[in-house]
Amino acid sequence: MTHKTEELLNKLQERTESILQKAVQEWQLLPPEQLSVKPGPDKWSPAQCLEHLNFYGHHYLPAIEKAIKAAKGRNGIPAEVFKSGWLGQYFTQLMLPQPDGGLKSTMKSPKNAVPAAEPEPLATLAEFMEQQERMLQLLEAARAVNLTTVRVPISLSPWIRLRLGDTFGFVVAHNERHVLQLEKGLLLHPKILANLVQSTP
Amino acid sequence: MQAAIESLRQFIPDLPYEIQADFEAIWQPFEAKRKVILSAEGAVEKHIYFVLEGVQRAYFVGEDGQEATLVFTYAPSFGGVADSFLLQTPSNYWYETLTPSRFLRSTFQQLDALMLRHHALERIIRLLTSQALAGVLSRQIELQNFSAEARFRALLKRSPQLLQLVPHKYIASYLGMDATNFSKFMGSVRL
Repeated sequence: MTHKTEELLNKLQERTESILQKAVQEWQLLPPEQLSVKPGPDKWSPAQCLEHLNFYGHHYLPAIEKAIKAAKGRNGIPAEVFKSGWLGQYFTQLMLPQPDGGLKSTMKSPKNAVPAAEPEPLATLAEFMEQQERMLQLLEAARAVNLTTVRVPISLSPWIRLRLGDTFGFVVAHNERHVLQLEKGLLLHPKILANLVQSTP
Repeated sequence: MQAAIESLRQFIPDLPYEIQADFEAIWQPFEAKRKVILSAEGAVEKHIYFVLEGVQRAYFVGEDGQEATLVFTYAPSFGGVADSFLLQTPSNYWYETLTPSRFLRSTFQQLDALMLRHHALERIIRLLTSQALAGVLSRQIELQNFSAEARFRALLKRSPQLLQLVPHKYIASYLGMDATNFSKFMGSVRL
């Protein structure tokens, strides 16, 4: 599958921006306890969803940054078109929600990516927002390099490397997957969006 | 563009028509996404911004990498690294967008040339600079004499919209408090 590089990066930035806006405009205004409520006995709380995403961010953000820097050092030049690899497409497809908004497969996360029972909600959310800001900057920096030839090792193995464009696609789709899960969790409880502007004495 | 110019016009009241027209002619539309650095430490600020949309901040980075947010800018107001712009000396701090932003912007050369030509315009710029100075001094009082809670309350009164526009770590940094203290005060105003 091929994409126009510029359109792909624009789209990925928009999707990341929209996740970040939810965090800024809604989640950080909620009483923090609400982020710790589990929607079911074996389900993750919103804070756990975020911690899980942060765990992947810890790997992918520095790995992407390193790959972009190295490519710039080699004077790599951007290409107009990005060609997605089969492995990247496969991983990304696994993450995407169905058209009806449901999740395709319930997957088991690798053991080391399972979040703590009760992560500190505000610190976890703050880190998540920082990671999304960094993601936006990396998507911008990626405009200077070739998304097809630059490769990033996946979190499971340093030997398997995805194309930079696929890495971005996978990470953003994975973020969206768990943001969807998080929002479903929040919906189960009455939304107490702090109406700070109006309620300020 | 017309709406943008009209928004700018409220800051330059009572100028003779030809001076107003000269002034309005030096501005160009400019846009930036979230977390884009507009001015870097060590560089001379070339631009003055008039904010139409979005939130930006000026911040200082200490030797330990610790960031201190000095000021937020948002519509309708002027933005940029004010001292570096006015004095044309290298900046000690950074200026960046915190949300997707739209501006009008002009350059020092253009504004300076107009101020030399029109005394009435230079006077308006002096008044705007004076207001900015007054703002800096009253913030200095807040930082040195107010309790953390009073600083939080003052911000809530002045710019409550910031709480749902930017990640709270920037506001905590502006108020000179850590995330734990900030969330304690947030809890006290939440219903």
